Amino acid sequence: MKMTRKEFLQGAAAVAGAVALPGTAASAPLAPQRGMDEGFPASERKGPKRGVSIYSYEHEFNVSATLEDCLSELSDLATPGTKIGLEVLANAHIKNYPNPSAAWIDDWYKMLALYDIIPVEYGHWVDTKLYSETKTIDTKEGVEMLIADIKLASRLGFTRARTKVGMQGGATMMTQTPADNFFDIIKGALETAQKHNVRMLTEIHSPTPLKGATMDKYMDFITKENTNPWFALNIDFSVFQTKMAPRPGGQQAPPAGGQASHAPSWMGKLPLAVPDDMIPLIPYIHCCHSKFNDMTDDCEETTIPYPEVIKVLVDHGYNGYMMSEYEGMDKLQGGAWPAVRKQHVMLKRLLGEA
Amino acid sequence: MLEMEAVQQRGFRNVYKDGQCIGFQIAYRSTYYRGISLSLSKGFRVLVDGEQFPREAITVTYEGETYTQDELAKAGHVQWNLDEPVMLNIAKPGGLKLGVRVVTVNWSHRISYIGSMPGVPEQTPAAEAGGPGPTGGTQEFGGGNCTRKLVLVR
Repeated sequence: MKMTRKEFLQGAAAVAGAVALPGTAASAPLAPQRGMDEGFPASERKGPKRGVSIYSYEHEFNVSATLEDCLSELSDLATPGTKIGLEVLANAHIKNYPNPSAAWIDDWYKMLALYDIIPVEYGHWVDTKLYSETKTIDTKEGVEMLIADIKLASRLGFTRARTKVGMQGGATMMTQTPADNFFDIIKGALETAQKHNVRMLTEIHSPTPLKGATMDKYMDFITKENTNPWFALNIDFSVFQTKMAPRPGGQQAPPAGGQASHAPSWMGKLPLAVPDDMIPLIPYIHCCHSKFNDMTDDCEETTIPYPEVIKVLVDHGYNGYMMSEYEGMDKLQGGAWPAVRKQHVMLKRLLGEA
Repeated sequence: MLEMEAVQQRGFRNVYKDGQCIGFQIAYRSTYYRGISLSLSKGFRVLVDGEQFPREAITVTYEGETYTQDELAKAGHVQWNLDEPVMLNIAKPGGLKLGVRVVTVNWSHRISYIGSMPGVPEQTPAAEAGGPGPTGGTQEFGGGNCTRKLVLVR
C-alpha cells in the first residue's frame, strides 16, 4: 500500500535510499565535509544549478501553505535523478527559530529526502539596528548572533549563508554603505564559518551596482583579508534589471513607491550592471539569487536579460546554485506558484536540460 | 493557519477583569517576509471607528509574556516568529460596542540593511484608516497601516 505523506512524516518508515541524517539528535554541528567541491558532493554535475528561495511564497506561508507545501512544490521542479536547491529565510521558515526542536530537525531531513531537495543557502540577518536606528549593536553581540546562525545553518545541512549585516548612510538608497562594524563582525566569525563549512555571502542587490564604491569595499576586504570562500559574494540578478515589472493587467508600474515596488528615483539609471560585469567576480560567487519579476506564458522573463546572464555563468565556469526569488506584482494574488514554475522551464531550456 | 491580512478577525474581543470590561484585544500577524526581534518594532498604534488610541494605552502579548511598548523596545532576544500573531491589548473602560467595527493597526519596524533615510519617524505614527493592499501599507519596507472591518461578538 502506498504510504501517504502524513504517514511518512509520522515516522512509519524511512524512505528507501534516504540520505543519512546528519546533525540530528545531538546539538553537534554537521562535520565539515572534506573532499567536496564547493561544499557539494564531488559527483555533482558541473555548471549552474537550479534552486528556489521559498521567500518567493511569502504571502502564502502560514496562510495557505506550510513549509512542507513549499518543499513539495519544489520537488515538481527537480530534474528526475537530481536534486533541487533550497534557500530558506532562517527567521521565517524555521519553526521556533533560533531554537528548533530536535524533532523538527528530524522532520526537516525526512522532508529533504522525500522532496529531492538539497539545502543550499540559509538567509539570515545580523540586525545591527536591534536597539536603535542610529547606533549599531556592539561587534561582540553581532559576532555572537552570526556564529549562532552559522551553527544552525550547518546543523540543517546548508553550505552557504546569505549574510546580511547592517548598512548605514543613505540620503538615497544609492549612497548606503556597510555599517562601521560590518567587517569586524564578519572577521569574528570567519573561523567558525570555515569549521562548519558555511560560506558567508554578502548579497549584491539593487541598488548596488557591480562596479562602484560599495563593491570596492567588499572586494578590498575579501582580497586583503583573503576571506574567499568563507566570506564572499552572492549576486542577485536584480542588478541586471532593465525595466520595471508590469502590473497585473500588463501596465508598466510607475517609478515611485507603491506596493512591492523597489523603484525609487534610481530607476532612471537602469541597468545597474551588465552580465559581463560578473566575469572577474566568478571565483568569488558561491551562490546567486535568480531574481525575476515577470514571466510570459512562453516562459520568458521580461525585465532581466536571462539568456545573457546564464551564458556568462556557463561560459565562465560557475558551478553553484541559482536560487529563484520572485518579486512580481501578482504575488498577493497567488502569482508566485506559476511564476516560479515558468522560470524553471526557462532555466531548463537555457541550461540545456530541456 | 492565519488569515491573510495583518489584522486578524480571530481573537478580536473585549477584555474583562474582575467582571468589568477594561478594553479590547486585537490579534495581529506580521506580514513582513521574515520574523524579527521584538526590539526592532517601532511600536503599535490603533484606531477604531475614528477613535485614536495612544501608544501608552496599548500593551503587547507574545507567547505568554506581556510587554509595554517601552519594554518591547528592549526585547532584543525575543524572536517574533511569523506563525504566531501578537495580541494587542488596548485599554478602554467599557470596551467596544458589539457589531461591525472599522479597525486600523499601524505598525513599523527598523530595517538594518537599509541605510537610514531622512524623514522616517523613530516611532510608529498614529494609525490612519485606509492603506493600500489587502495586507495594508508597505509592510515589506518597514511597516504601514492595515484597516479591516471586524465583527465584535463578545
